[in-house]
Amino acid sequence: MSEATKDAVAPAPAGATATGTSFTDRLRRPAPYLWLAGSVLLLLFPFYLDRFWLQAGLFAMAAAIGAIGLNLLTGSTGQLSMGHAFFLAVGAYGYCILGGESSTENGHALTGLGLPTWLAAVLAVLLAGAAGGLFSPIAGRLSGAYLGIATLALIFIGQHVLFNAGSLTGGFNGRPVPPLSLFGFTFDDAEVVVAAVPFQSSEKLWYLGLAALLASGLFARGVLRGRPGRALNAIRDHRIAAGVMGVPVARYRAGVFVLSSMYAGLAGVLLALVFQRTVPEYFGMILSLEYLAMIVIGGLGSVAGAVIGAAFVSLLPQVLTHYSDSLPLVSAPGTGGIAPGEASRYLYGAAVVAVVLFLPGGIARLKTPGEKKK
Amino acid sequence: MKLRVVGAVVAALTLTLAGCSEKAKSSDDGAADKNGVKTGEGVTDSKITLGALTDMTGVYASLGKSVTQAQQLWVEETNKAGGICDRQIELTVRDHGYDPQKAIGAYTELEPDVLGFTQFIGSPFVSAVESRIDGQDKGIVLPQAWSANLVGSEYVRVIGATYDVETINLIDFLLDEKRIAKGDKIGHVYFEGDYGENALAGSKHAAQEAGLTVVEQKIKPTDNDMTAQVSALKQAGVKAVVVSAGPRQAASLVGVAAATGFDVPVVGNNSAYAPQLLATQAGAALQKDYYIGSSTLPIGDAAAGPAKLSKAYGAKYPKDGLDNGVIAGYNAATVFGEALKKACESKDLTREGVGKALLTIKDFGADFGISHDFTDPAAPSTRETVVMKPDAKTPGGLKVVRPAEVAPAAESFTLKP
Repeated sequence: MSEATKDAVAPAPAGATATGTSFTDRLRRPAPYLWLAGSVLLLLFPFYLDRFWLQAGLFAMAAAIGAIGLNLLTGSTGQLSMGHAFFLAVGAYGYCILGGESSTENGHALTGLGLPTWLAAVLAVLLAGAAGGLFSPIAGRLSGAYLGIATLALIFIGQHVLFNAGSLTGGFNGRPVPPLSLFGFTFDDAEVVVAAVPFQSSEKLWYLGLAALLASGLFARGVLRGRPGRALNAIRDHRIAAGVMGVPVARYRAGVFVLSSMYAGLAGVLLALVFQRTVPEYFGMILSLEYLAMIVIGGLGSVAGAVIGAAFVSLLPQVLTHYSDSLPLVSAPGTGGIAPGEASRYLYGAAVVAVVLFLPGGIARLKTPGEKKK
Repeated sequence: MKLRVVGAVVAALTLTLAGCSEKAKSSDDGAADKNGVKTGEGVTDSKITLGALTDMTGVYASLGKSVTQAQQLWVEETNKAGGICDRQIELTVRDHGYDPQKAIGAYTELEPDVLGFTQFIGSPFVSAVESRIDGQDKGIVLPQAWSANLVGSEYVRVIGATYDVETINLIDFLLDEKRIAKGDKIGHVYFEGDYGENALAGSKHAAQEAGLTVVEQKIKPTDNDMTAQVSALKQAGVKAVVVSAGPRQAASLVGVAAATGFDVPVVGNNSAYAPQLLATQAGAALQKDYYIGSSTLPIGDAAAGPAKLSKAYGAKYPKDGLDNGVIAGYNAATVFGEALKKACESKDLTREGVGKALLTIKDFGADFGISHDFTDPAAPSTRETVVMKPDAKTPGGLKVVRPAEVAPAAESFTLKP
């Protein structure tokens, strides 16, 4: 159980070294250097990578934030949710409605409140939380597969509303996403030249995405490592025992549901900013299933697992498509054989099976042999 | 130990990468080859790369396949004939499976490397990137959708009449044939979304002009059984039905209407028919009193253009059936090729040059029964519609009943962008 709350790459097993780690000890380990090199690389990417890769990375970051949220709910508390796509949609559309101006597009009148976009982003996250809160009487009482089925309804209701509430959502064609503006700096496609490299929306959003991911990751880690995290794990492992020990089970379940919805809302806002247009088609059941695949592949119950899983699931199709010309078996579209999109679905289907069979803890629990010794 | 090595490698890699960035701004604009032809994105001395964003695994899989294969056929033919501007054409295809993330990802991926797009299926995705196309990318995009929403951009050019214009022409056909008259009610079964809503705008306009009343029936793409709609329309006493939906819905509508003795003519937009329908139970009913509007001749027509294309297509893809996606795709690629040729003449193969060249194209595409005019970005390339009828005996399953014609009501119709 303590395993579940630990970061895979964080220095050493907590039980053995937590008390005796001095600063110099830490410096001798490779992990801090890896972190440092990784961070520098991540910060440098916008200067070197094409927009395509940056966009793929941004999708992965948004997915990672959403997956962290789902992992809190499903991985740490054992509550199955199929409604994650719904909360993503609430975040994405909430941001557009709050931050967009009223306008007419293609004969549709679009309602927008025209709030400052940073405020709209914050409110959209809170709105997703509120939507989760409205559902929490149900989320607090149901568990496991029952909750999964109950949340399934959210997707269908959500998509029906998205398609039909034309003046709010723009209907079938969706609505444009206002670019985020923070302290006078706008994350739009206007070129800003930094060190001879033109920065457009993807480059600018990259740093925003990194910051959002870091903050979400640290917050979730804080929750999991502290008292609430232990309570959540206790609920997952034995609900009655947790109740006997004084954990208010229903309240915790409802609370974690709200928290996970807010994570989904934030992911939705970021996704909308990357898409530059929200389309109702996207927020369907497949999306929810993909999020579940992410946390299973990455590792249930840990922040690093969610991030790894999200990167795997959202980057795989893009990578396969990009290199479809040079990969065996995967064929270019139109020539027969397996299309890249299908190939990636097969691959992560296989990954889910392989992970469940051979790595019950997910990819995040892969450790070098040396580290296993206590 | 192992980790330390990895760390060192990562660090070294970082340092190498930091050495130089290819993204740093360089001024390669206005590069010209030895013949003085200006080139830009997607054009080298020997190659012109075009993109196609298609759907071969999603909801529009059958259309996407026909369109893409027809365009690949065009590329092959063009290259055999020596290419354009002494350059071979290359078509890079990406299948997005009607998934926005993949579609937008694919556009972003291909955009820096191609001159333009001969195909982009899915109007929501085209709308999603439209601001980028108009604002910075400025490459020509030819969407395979006929919604009026897409008209108005200098770079996103719809080939053919938009759904609203097509619907007006179809209703005009019914009036001409004396199937309906002033004061009658007509039913309109349409998809939610821009296709159906755009067509509805057309039928409302036509109804107003001719003194008809429209009875609306909105459906979802997932509704396959039209029994409820048919009985509602029957109850309302409509004299004809317009269907702006998919082939499946059209077949169900016509089939159910015939089975319940509801004997009215049904007209449908170009997306409301597929030759595969003829093999279904509704096949006989469809051949009786169902009409389709389209901005090209049917692939099975005896005219030179379709006949030649169907022969070449049949030879290259013997296993695949012929449908109107073949013509639509081939036509779009030909338009692009025409623009490339004109741009080559004026020695400017940049995106800007091709964009300008496209704006000079008039009287194009008479091979397929309708001439297109691309000089005005605010208008559809044509307002004419060919009316066709399903027919099991012709390859492609359609025969012409009224050649290209534009209704007075369609001529005066102003698009609502």
